[in-house]
Amino acid sequence: MSGPVETAVEFAGIPLRNPVLTASGTFGYGSEFGPFLDLRRIGGFVGKSLTLEPRFGNPPPRIAESPAGMLNAISIENIGVDAFLEEKLPALPEGVVVIASCFGTDPDDYARLAARLSDSPRVSGVEINASCPHVKSGGIEFGQDPELLKDLVRRVREHVSGPLIVKLSPNVTRIAPMAEVCQEAGADGITLINAIQSMEVDVETRRPVLANVLGGLSGPAIRPIALRMVWQASRAVDIPICGVGGIASAEDAVKFLLCGATAIQVGTINYVNPMAAGEIADGILAYAQRHGFSRVADLTGALELDRAPVS
Amino acid sequence: MTESPPVNGLPIRTLAEVVENRAEGGGGFCLTLSVPGWPGALPGQFVMISAGACAAVERWDPLLPRPMAVYRGHRPAEAGGTTEVQILFKATGAGTRLLAETAPGQRVRMVGPLGVGFPPPGPDQRVCLVGGGTGTASLYEWALQCARTQPVSVLLGARRAQELVGLADFEALGVDLRCATEDGSRGTLGRVTALLEPLLAEAEPGELSLYVCGPTPMMRACSQMAVRSGVRCIVSLENNMACGFGVCLGCAVPMTEGGFSLVCRAGPIYDARDVDWAGLP
Ligand SMILES: Cc1cc2nc3c(=O)[nH]c(=O)nc-3n(C[C@H](O)[C@H](O)[C@H](O)COP(=O)(O)OP(=O)(O)OC[C@H]3O[C@@H](n4cnc5c(N)ncnc54)[C@H](O)[C@@H]3O)c2cc1C
Ligand SMILES: Cc1cc2nc3c(=O)[nH]c(=O)nc-3n(C[C@H](O)[C@H](O)[C@H](O)COP(=O)(O)O)c2cc1C
Ligand code: FES
Repeated sequence: MSGPVETAVEFAGIPLRNPVLTASGTFGYGSEFGPFLDLRRIGGFVGKSLTLEPRFGNPPPRIAESPAGMLNAISIENIGVDAFLEEKLPALPEGVVVIASCFGTDPDDYARLAARLSDSPRVSGVEINASCPHVKSGGIEFGQDPELLKDLVRRVREHVSGPLIVKLSPNVTRIAPMAEVCQEAGADGITLINAIQSMEVDVETRRPVLANVLGGLSGPAIRPIALRMVWQASRAVDIPICGVGGIASAEDAVKFLLCGATAIQVGTINYVNPMAAGEIADGILAYAQRHGFSRVADLTGALELDRAPVS
Repeated sequence: MTESPPVNGLPIRTLAEVVENRAEGGGGFCLTLSVPGWPGALPGQFVMISAGACAAVERWDPLLPRPMAVYRGHRPAEAGGTTEVQILFKATGAGTRLLAETAPGQRVRMVGPLGVGFPPPGPDQRVCLVGGGTGTASLYEWALQCARTQPVSVLLGARRAQELVGLADFEALGVDLRCATEDGSRGTLGRVTALLEPLLAEAEPGELSLYVCGPTPMMRACSQMAVRSGVRCIVSLENNMACGFGVCLGCAVPMTEGGFSLVCRAGPIYDARDVDWAGLP
């Protein structure tokens, strides 16, 4: 197949140049990547999770390395919503799609924050982080209890008319019910997965490596788990899914699309190669060309299944 | 004071070719890289470097790049050309062992220059640089620059003589150079702090600027001694990092005034009084 390939996709009502976004907490507030990557080469980026007030994170050590992955216990350290709206957003070039990530300790927090962000004309959508694996209250509590999650999404939905995305935690036994309640409560899309709860130990000191003891595992090590969860969620709901977890190459990204994702997010690999997201966007296009797809959007759910899965 | 190289300040991401990888003894290596479009670096700045790209298939284990001081090669490349940048490191863990195995012609991933440079001493001050282990790599270019305009003393410490990183280069500077080794195989027997003690005792108030880079316990000890003597002490911190350019928030150090500072962006250079040493791992 020759001819040009249409790379544009629509995720949660947001038109994207291509399906490549970058994951919250791995892309700062966007401008940090200025020297490395023209943000208009990718679909858009998700900023670091914001809270109503600026917030400090955990004491060090906050990170540790693990086989093909890393653990982090940053907590939601961020500049707060005001500084984001007043300083960070105006500094970004025109034409960059910004998705703002929100974090709160109760549904009212989330709702107020999401409404403020969603009201900004420079914010294309909000992603609610219902899944931070290492903050004492908030986040993961919502991501692990379907009733709490449904209530949270419903409350935020009441205050947000623009695109609303919910980021789910992998730290659950079954992901499908979590995806279903998001759809029922009116979410426009789902992002998964966040980092996987984990820990690491230094045997010389016989102490946990992270000051916070527990952290979140990310990077290539988690990719097959993320892929499985995206596939399961995509079979459970009709709203679009954004796949994230360990994506390091265009081939990795394509796997997520085939398993039902409409868009993907590049996370930890941004640290290793700050140009990765742009290279992945180019590679997806090359894949579509090579395999005779005229639209990248047609890759979504194009997994060939010879038999029904066992579970 | 010192003439600083014309550095444009913006980091680049590149695949740099290994020109030479020389074993220095004591587990140390001097890696020479050919870097296309290198923007130059200020003394004290560093790069993030990983050898994962040199294999035929990109490998993701160990995953994270390692922060390494720019040892030599602070001048920018000519337009369209390359610069040779040198890194001095010790093979200890997985990342540096992989780096130690790289051979000429192979490529390594590199992002830099990153962080800030050393603040200059006062015009009439004497300068004392204290390096421990691989920390000396951060200090060499600064010693070179300072030595052009003011009296410089360099104090180097290591476990044994072979681990005195970059010793021959420091000797060639022709500055006042003193060594301490824990086994007495070179210079004074003991720690580098033993060399610092008399220097601080002799110093008149405001006469001396101290620059320290090495393991955290050594920097902590030096900074406490300097504070007691009323001497300005600048440290270059060596924290674990994931990104090196301010987005992962993994390199945070607690500050005396409260809150945290990102070593990769606000640092790695700090006034020792600003760092909350008790909160450092
Ligand atoms: C700004 C800066 C400049 C540096 N410059 C140099 C240099 O010029 N030459 C040089 O040899 N080293 C330098 N370092 C230190 C160097 O980055 C670490 O020693 C290196 O990351 C260790 O990697 P590894 O693969 O050997 O160890 P790993 O595989 O990570 O593990 C070995 C052990 O070291 C610990 N560790 C890993 N990284 C660090 C770290 N950064 N600080 C303290 N402990 C760590 C691990 O927890 C582990 O216990 C610098 C660090 C910084 C922040
Ligand atoms: C250091 C670090 C900080 C993160 N911070 C956030 C955050 O603030 N909000 C959020 O929703 N996810 C955060 N994440 C999770 C990522 O967005 C992503 O879901 C996860 O890392 C899995 O993708 P990856 O394997 O590609 O990194 C963070 C991840 C890392 C490694
Ligand atoms: S190393 Fe990532 S923010 Fe400093």
